[in-house]
Amino acid sequence: MSTASKSVSVAPASAQLRRAPRKLLNRRALDRFGIALIVPLGLLLAWWIASSQGWLPEQILPSPAYVSSTALEMVTSGEIFYHAGASLQRVVIGFLFGAAAGLTLGMAMGLSRRVDDYVRPLFLAFAQIPTLGWIPLLMLIFGIGEALKIIVIAKGALVPMTINTAAGIRAVPASLVEVGHALRFSRLQTLRLIVLPGAAPSLFTGIRYGLTHSWTALVAVELLASSEGLGYLLVWGRQMFWLDVVIVAMVAVGAIGFLMDKGLDASEILVQRWKQGEDS
Amino acid sequence: MSRRFRVNGSDLTALDQVSLDVRAGEFVTIVGASGCGKSTLLRLGAGLDVEHDGVIEHGGQPVEGPSLDRGIVFQEPRLFPWLTVERNVGLGLENAPLSKAEKRDLVAQQIELVGLTGFEQAYPHQLSGGMAQRAGIARGLVNRPDVLFLDEPFGALDAITKARLQGELQDIWAKEQVTMVLVTHDVDEAVYLGDRVVIMSPRPGRIRTIVPVDLPHPRERTSSQLAGIRNHVLDILNSTTVGLPAATAVQPTRQKRPLAKSIPAHAALRAKPSGKPLFSTTEI
Repeated sequence: MSTASKSVSVAPASAQLRRAPRKLLNRRALDRFGIALIVPLGLLLAWWIASSQGWLPEQILPSPAYVSSTALEMVTSGEIFYHAGASLQRVVIGFLFGAAAGLTLGMAMGLSRRVDDYVRPLFLAFAQIPTLGWIPLLMLIFGIGEALKIIVIAKGALVPMTINTAAGIRAVPASLVEVGHALRFSRLQTLRLIVLPGAAPSLFTGIRYGLTHSWTALVAVELLASSEGLGYLLVWGRQMFWLDVVIVAMVAVGAIGFLMDKGLDASEILVQRWKQGEDS
Repeated sequence: MSRRFRVNGSDLTALDQVSLDVRAGEFVTIVGASGCGKSTLLRLGAGLDVEHDGVIEHGGQPVEGPSLDRGIVFQEPRLFPWLTVERNVGLGLENAPLSKAEKRDLVAQQIELVGLTGFEQAYPHQLSGGMAQRAGIARGLVNRPDVLFLDEPFGALDAITKARLQGELQDIWAKEQVTMVLVTHDVDEAVYLGDRVVIMSPRPGRIRTIVPVDLPHPRERTSSQLAGIRNHVLDILNSTTVGLPAATAVQPTRQKRPLAKSIPAHAALRAKPSGKPLFSTTEI
């Protein structure tokens, strides 16, 4: 390569390297953010009109103003944080168990054809049973205490984690594994340097789906039997006909779930910096 | 040395009684129509494929698997997309008994050798095809192997990049004094780079003949002598037809072999036929 052509092509490559992080906050992103707000604002407006016109009884549909004052009260008293914290703690513990088990099982299935042959049919059948379908049986074995909640949450994370891990490992190109073979990589080196990085995008998908499933499972088990948590707040609010509390709890569930997903998205971009600009 | 594959339940002889000695420091190119087993021969030599009759030796030692003394460059660069150029090249040293600083120096040297200085921190998707293949060559060379096997390394590149990289490869070969074995279907490339051009014929894969190219390196692409040799190679290739009777497939390497023995100090690659009778072959 001649010196001239080298210096010419250096510029775009290094510029691209620098430009990558700034992409997170450009104008297009701001525009998209604005567009994303249109529908929620419209719904809020419809809610406000419906309640001010008295289309639904106030006991069933409290006004936005009333709900927001309740929300403010719950925030200042710290009540909402107490319940959200209890829920988050359950989800974190359950998710960690489920994700670790899913990672192990998925890796075994991805790396060994034999394990896959033995386990996959049963696993797929197991995955077809909705998380809530397990609760009656598990309740008889584990009672209705914390153990049940953690197991149900863990199961929510286990299924997507296992499937995505196995699929990600299977999808690692054989041509790269052969490079490792030619360079005399040990099994551990192959796993660390080729298989895991190669499967990383799929692992992230598994983590995201797993966390989402855990979060939805959490609310379901908390509806069942608990004395704290956002799910408890929903049940309690409905029983007492405090629909304002129910709505605040629902908003909290949605907001936390949304933030978790966004947080994972950001960490995925951070971990997989090499992908930035790949499709641009 | 022979190599058979099982294809649809029947034995297919990919390589039949192939014998080839490569001297240390030599640049051997292998050409032939597709299906002649040239890539199989290369993979066997590199130790990526170990199923065969006969003997494959490297420096007197049998080849039983890949070794860091034998580098390989594939047709696709096969870089790891999640690693920078620097770390991709460094993969070749993952199992080398060197300190971190020594590895860093070696990697920097190789990157400079292939003209990628300034791109150490670039990711593969930021490189052009030619630059990615340069990184692939650097990874193959970073261990300072005795032999570098190249499997159609420029096959996917455009003509201009290809010509440039061929010239650079010739420079690297002259500078590093690495034995190189290059498989290609490009006769110009084979004649331009090779000290000897091994011409193979397909079904079963055999060495048809070996054409020496007694021209000093670096070579002039346009020289009339080179053109003459190229035409000669093309003639042989064109006359190499499917179903050639085995008896007419000469084994000129027999005469070449003493040549390798005359340089005992150098590590030489050697593939010999076994004494065993051949299987009958099934054509597909």
